Amino acid sequence: MATQAHSLSYAGCNFLRQRLVLSTLSGRPVKIRKIRARDDNPGLRDFEASFIRLLDKITNGSRIEINQTGTTLYYQPGLLYGGSVEHDCSVLRGIGYYLESLLCLAPFMKHPLKIVLRGVTNDQVDPSVDVLKATALPLLKQFGIDGESFELKIVRRGMPPGGGGEVVFSCPVRKVLKPIQLTDPGKIKRIRGMAYSVRVSPQMANRIVDSARSILNKFLPDIYIYTDHMKGVNSGKSPGFGLSLVAETTSGTFLSAELASNPQGQGAAVLPEDLGRNCARLLLEEIYRGGCVDSTNQSLALLLMTLGQQDVSKVLLGPLSPYTIEFLRHLKSFFQIMFKIETKPCGEELKGGDKVLMTCVGIGFSNLSKTLK
Amino acid sequence: MEAKDQKKHRKKNSGPKAAKKKKRHLQDLQLGDEEDARKRNPKAFAVQSAVRMARSFHRTQDLKTKKHHIPVVDRTPLEPPPIVVVVMGPPKVGKSTLIQCLIRNFTRQKLTEIRGPVTIVSGKKRRLTIIECGCDINMMIDLAKVADLVLMLIDASFGFEMETFEFLNICQVHGFPKIMGVLTHLDSFKHNKQLKKTKKRLKHRFWTEVYPGAKLFYLSGMVHGEYQNQEIHNLGRFITVMKFRPLTWQTSHPYILADRMEDLTNPEDIRTNIKCDRKVSLYGYLRGAHLKNKSQIHMPGVGDFAVSDISFLPDPCALPEQQKKRCLNEKEKLVYAPLSGVGGVLYDKDAVYVDLGGSHGFQDEVGPTHELVQSLISTHSTIDAKMASSRVTLFSDSKPLGSEDIDNQGLMMPKEEKQMDLKTGRMRRKAIFGDEDEPGDSDDEEDDEMSEDDGLENGSSDEEAEEEENAEMTDQYMAIKGVKRRKLEELEEDGEMDLPAFADSDDDLERSSAEEGEAEEADESSEEEDCTAGEKGISGSKAAGEGSKAGLSPANCQSDRVNLEKSLLMKKAALPTFDSGHCTAEEVFASEDESEESSSLSAEEEDSENEEAIRKKLSKPSRVSSGQKLGPRNLIDETSDIENLLKEEEDYKEENNDSKETSGALKWKEDLSRKAAEAFLRQQQAAPNLRTLIYGTVTEDNEEEDGDTREELGGLFRVNQPDRECKHKADSLDCSRFLVEAPHDWDLEEVMNSIRDCFVTGKWEDDKDAAKVLAEDEELYGDFEDLETGDVHKGKSGPNTQNEDIEKEVKEEIDPDEEESAKKKHLDKKRKLKEMFDAEYDEGESTYFDDLKGEMQKQAQLNRAEFEDQDDEARVQYEGFRPGMYVRVEIENVPCEFVQNFDPHYPIILGGLGNSEGNVGYVQMRLKKHRWYKKILKSRDPIIFSVGWRRFQTIPLYYIEDHNGRQRLLKYTPQHMHSGAAFWGPITPQGTGFLAIQSVSGIMPDFRIAATGVVLDLDKSIKIVKKLKLTGFPYKIFKNTSFIKGMFNSALEVAKFEGAVIRTVSGIRGQIKKALRAPEGAFRASFEDKLLMSDIVFMRTWYPVSIPAFYNPVTSLLKAVGEKDTWSGMRTTGQLRLAHGVRLKANKDSLYKPILRQKKHFNSLHIPKALQKALPFKNKPKTQAKAGKVPKDRRRPAVIREPHERKILALLDALSTVHSQKMKKAKEQRHLHNKEHFRAKQKEEEEKLKRQKDLRKKLFQIQGQKERRNQKSSLKGAEGQLQ
Repeated sequence: MATQAHSLSYAGCNFLRQRLVLSTLSGRPVKIRKIRARDDNPGLRDFEASFIRLLDKITNGSRIEINQTGTTLYYQPGLLYGGSVEHDCSVLRGIGYYLESLLCLAPFMKHPLKIVLRGVTNDQVDPSVDVLKATALPLLKQFGIDGESFELKIVRRGMPPGGGGEVVFSCPVRKVLKPIQLTDPGKIKRIRGMAYSVRVSPQMANRIVDSARSILNKFLPDIYIYTDHMKGVNSGKSPGFGLSLVAETTSGTFLSAELASNPQGQGAAVLPEDLGRNCARLLLEEIYRGGCVDSTNQSLALLLMTLGQQDVSKVLLGPLSPYTIEFLRHLKSFFQIMFKIETKPCGEELKGGDKVLMTCVGIGFSNLSKTLK
Repeated sequence: MEAKDQKKHRKKNSGPKAAKKKKRHLQDLQLGDEEDARKRNPKAFAVQSAVRMARSFHRTQDLKTKKHHIPVVDRTPLEPPPIVVVVMGPPKVGKSTLIQCLIRNFTRQKLTEIRGPVTIVSGKKRRLTIIECGCDINMMIDLAKVADLVLMLIDASFGFEMETFEFLNICQVHGFPKIMGVLTHLDSFKHNKQLKKTKKRLKHRFWTEVYPGAKLFYLSGMVHGEYQNQEIHNLGRFITVMKFRPLTWQTSHPYILADRMEDLTNPEDIRTNIKCDRKVSLYGYLRGAHLKNKSQIHMPGVGDFAVSDISFLPDPCALPEQQKKRCLNEKEKLVYAPLSGVGGVLYDKDAVYVDLGGSHGFQDEVGPTHELVQSLISTHSTIDAKMASSRVTLFSDSKPLGSEDIDNQGLMMPKEEKQMDLKTGRMRRKAIFGDEDEPGDSDDEEDDEMSEDDGLENGSSDEEAEEEENAEMTDQYMAIKGVKRRKLEELEEDGEMDLPAFADSDDDLERSSAEEGEAEEADESSEEEDCTAGEKGISGSKAAGEGSKAGLSPANCQSDRVNLEKSLLMKKAALPTFDSGHCTAEEVFASEDESEESSSLSAEEEDSENEEAIRKKLSKPSRVSSGQKLGPRNLIDETSDIENLLKEEEDYKEENNDSKETSGALKWKEDLSRKAAEAFLRQQQAAPNLRTLIYGTVTEDNEEEDGDTREELGGLFRVNQPDRECKHKADSLDCSRFLVEAPHDWDLEEVMNSIRDCFVTGKWEDDKDAAKVLAEDEELYGDFEDLETGDVHKGKSGPNTQNEDIEKEVKEEIDPDEEESAKKKHLDKKRKLKEMFDAEYDEGESTYFDDLKGEMQKQAQLNRAEFEDQDDEARVQYEGFRPGMYVRVEIENVPCEFVQNFDPHYPIILGGLGNSEGNVGYVQMRLKKHRWYKKILKSRDPIIFSVGWRRFQTIPLYYIEDHNGRQRLLKYTPQHMHSGAAFWGPITPQGTGFLAIQSVSGIMPDFRIAATGVVLDLDKSIKIVKKLKLTGFPYKIFKNTSFIKGMFNSALEVAKFEGAVIRTVSGIRGQIKKALRAPEGAFRASFEDKLLMSDIVFMRTWYPVSIPAFYNPVTSLLKAVGEKDTWSGMRTTGQLRLAHGVRLKANKDSLYKPILRQKKHFNSLHIPKALQKALPFKNKPKTQAKAGKVPKDRRRPAVIREPHERKILALLDALSTVHSQKMKKAKEQRHLHNKEHFRAKQKEEEEKLKRQKDLRKKLFQIQGQKERRNQKSSLKGAEGQLQ
């Protein structure tokens, strides 16, 4: 009998996205218990519920069972469906929270995904839409996911706590992915950035730009930071400003850093100059960590390597983030795949910290949802 | 006469002889030299039209590109698994003999009895797994999926049989393996010409099925019950050098053709419950793709399982080590067939098996007589019984024979003809092609003619007789073989009886050895954590591998210093230490400290010195890195790992303690905790061993631990202990950002310098530095000579070049040697340049295809190289078990029937499943009924599919896609067209081929494969619709508006269909407008024209149908031995009806009734007078006589009455009516009266007659008395007178 593959069981709400995404891709049901069981406010939060709803929207035949208190979740994945979808994200988390998972799933849909996400585009917790657009999309292109319809458009900006932003993400579908060999990060040839301000003085952005340049100019002359001031309905519901920086290397890898102002009514006011400077420093930190993939996108790269054909893929990463480490563990339990991890100490060369070379053989994943014509 | 018969000589116009002559003739004319017409006649080949030339160029290019296959990455492993050779053919065609001969050819060993796959070494780089495939369609399907090469045996004396074609079609569906035909029984042809003809005929038929030019082998005859050595040798050569193209399904899925099975179930469990689920281990070569532990597999004929454990074993049939010699020596010619009891010594995880095969190996060639006797001895059933059984088969098959006489619409379809071997009682399903017989016959005739001409042979009758004789002989032979076969089977049965017992008895031994193995492992890892001993061991060795790599190949150093033995020893010793030694850098430091101390304390052995050296090397880089202060890591994470690391630390120390107690290691043991703390501090800075960090501590759902930590308070409440660190982690924020915990101070110069080189403005590597590359280029391209002008350009161009030239000239005169050397240099340079140019030029023409191919090749190389240097234990973890390995797979929860009814003749395949291929859903496929299958298929009839690895029964629905994408249900599959099919079943990747059969049990008449096709789509829901027409009737009609009722039941339903298009049967189109209040369900509709009350209004709608969720795997392997081909699943309704005698209830309206036609009455033809007048005479109606003219006097005048008169007349009328009524009444009365009177009179008459009769009676009585009296008196008187 083709019985359902035995389900995996986890406890705690952390890494919920990873688990659900991997469950969807591997077809194995997953059971998550004790979601904030000891918390004063137990159970799933709004943003998690919203995420589950989003998964339900883009899949067909998924079964989701949540108990009364919301502390236990059983998810039996269906097949990825895609198509035109609209989703109102919770304002508790940024759109990046949802978009990160969508980036993992979008290439394996039945119909090309075209999704409109509404909510907070830039916040302090999640990778912002700008950063994902600048780093994750080129990364996906390395795996052969490309085409006219592959784009992420920011229609409206929304800052926390009000939100009101809107992005459109569309992605073509692929049957198989290409293996990658990203072992040479190259040298940084240009730095680009986006200083945005909504519902505050447009001058803020300029102040941010100046301060950020003052630090980065010591390393590289080719720096350009765009200012983006959204007005009217495009500016969302709350005021705020921020900066995201992206460094591009000669071999086409992108490293990013970002910082956003405190949400209205939370914490002290931030000076744009400080923000710009801090953000530039964060970028330098990121460059110090190095690697061919941005630290926020490590897990995405590793996932797509896993889902490749049965060929060797290699990628050079900076130090692994805790999120990535947990992701690797999950990859092992869902796909029985282990990465060969080699630490590449960075001797006398002035190229930042230690790097990690990750190598794996793809599992030969093929998109089971795509229709054969 | 003879002279007349002789033919006239005809000159040859074609053929080699004619060509030769022609050539000679041309040579005589001195034209023959120029063979190329292009040269001979250049004008004829001149460019006439540029367009045409372009076209022809395009055409050739098109043809060229057509030949390209899409390049794929070559994933064949360095040591590939044995090639699966499936020997297939109908029964008694010589399969077993061929296998035996092949094995003998390759290994010089003779296997008396072959069961299951036999693996042999056939060459320096090739091994073969040969397996026999019988005629059970289950077996045929399974083996077609794993075959690399099929040897298709065909009985030439008989021709093709249905099984051959079925197998070919199965192969075609599941990826086409190489197919080689082998014709046997060729010795039964006495007549050479006949043989030739048959060969040719069979060959061409074979070619149409496989591909033109497919290899067909001829095994001409048997010598002493075996094929001729030379022929087998040639066949073997062909097999050994054959090349294979990768098949998609096989390369993307791992699979094992198991050649051994052991039951590992606890005997106690079996004792208590004989039907308990078993745990079995299966052995075999892994093929296809990488197989990972714990992955899902499917066993065709059994079901889905998860691999509970997998391990690799030393190759039991390994390829020769060195390959210097041209051929193999006898020792290397291995054969391995555990199911047949061959294989010599076997090592595996559980035990070592030694096969003392000699006693069976030397069986003499048995003569036919001996065989006969043997067979007689070994028969158990009486001849009578056998005869009875044979008769039964005859009876059952005789019926379908009649039905097959009908030809099938002139397709190239093989007709099946049942033929019986009278001797063996076997039924053969001969496949006959319509076109074959006729040419064959004509050939025969021609033959006859020829023979007549030659005067060599007589008639055809002789030939036929001879054939018959041959056939008889073969039959006899077969009979003998059959008997032998039966004997063999009995032997097998015996073997089977033995087998389980053997396994059982061995079990204890196995287990004990396993325990031993574990113990050994434990020893090796020397007090590692007792749990997960195996895993640790592996990881340890892996770490050792890494260590050796990182430490600049310390193994090499060692091998330089000490001899091999020692290094080996050392490796063993170092294994555990290295493990933890490389685990975390600080441990290394600790050990270093320790070793330093120890070295100061005591003199050490050489080995330990080596170790130390290595460790130092190891520690160096990490120390450097630690100095640099690594990327700060998440604190939470670290703290969670501290415990772990500490534990490891301790372990490590214990180990060291063990290994180096002599070196005064106790010293560092004193302050463990302090050191641990130190180590932790260091760990914060140094790079940890990521592998153990990530994979060493995988914890899924630690509920059990929680349960332990809780304490009960008063038996009612539980103490809620504060969560541990990891618990916190479990519920913390889910965020992918990697926050910077300890930022650098980027204002400092040295910190800034640490990333200087990350920018293009920094220093570049040598090979990429623009300045250096330029300099190199200078060297290469600096000087060059313009070949046209002869100028020499010098790299260093400057104002002083001319001076140099002059100087040179001067120098030339001075130094001829230097000039020579310069020349040489110059030449060298030129050569180099030319080479580069050539390379570039050749490369320059690389097409997209070449690029793609190159890319694939590069990837393949990388795949091979990446894990090459690692040992298998570690490699297996990364890649999974790679194809070519001999593996042992443990599976739990196998049905007991699998073990109890184990039949080694049936292949056991473990097919690996990809992700979510174990799940079920709706599968949509493109399906076409096989053109040789005689029936069409019906929706909702259960049918058996073979998709992917699986065989299963399911209920499909057939549909066709309309032009607008609607999937419309079909009741039956179309005859000659593709249709869609959808069923609920296991998800299989798109593009997978499948075939459908109605039943796998027994032998069915005709071709068995019902349909073939390909999987198109997988989904969790499906939208197949069928047509539903709703009808209604108008009950009120306005102009173009009508009120319609009867279509719906409620206003709500109407509301749902507002605006829908409706139509009358007569074709008036309309639209639903709005529901009406009464009657319920009525609505207002508008039409394009006025309706009639008699119109019927209808609406076309589509109703979604649901697919029955029925999925029933064919569990043929669970059937009892000998009944494995009798699996039958759900029956179709038709079969059920037939079985239970339930007739279909026919719709009364559909029944035929006698047609009653009313006599048609025609009115007389009336032609208007005007028309009549206009008609010509001949057309005027003449038959009717013209009413004659009544003369005036006989015509009565019209009477017009006065009112008075009219009144009178009316009164008279009324009076006369009254009168007439009166008269009528009176008449009636009179009539009645008359009747009465008549009756009375009749009565009277009767009475009168009666009276008269009585009177007459009386009268006659009296008369009679009187006469009597008279007579008496006369007699008396006479007497009296006399007296």
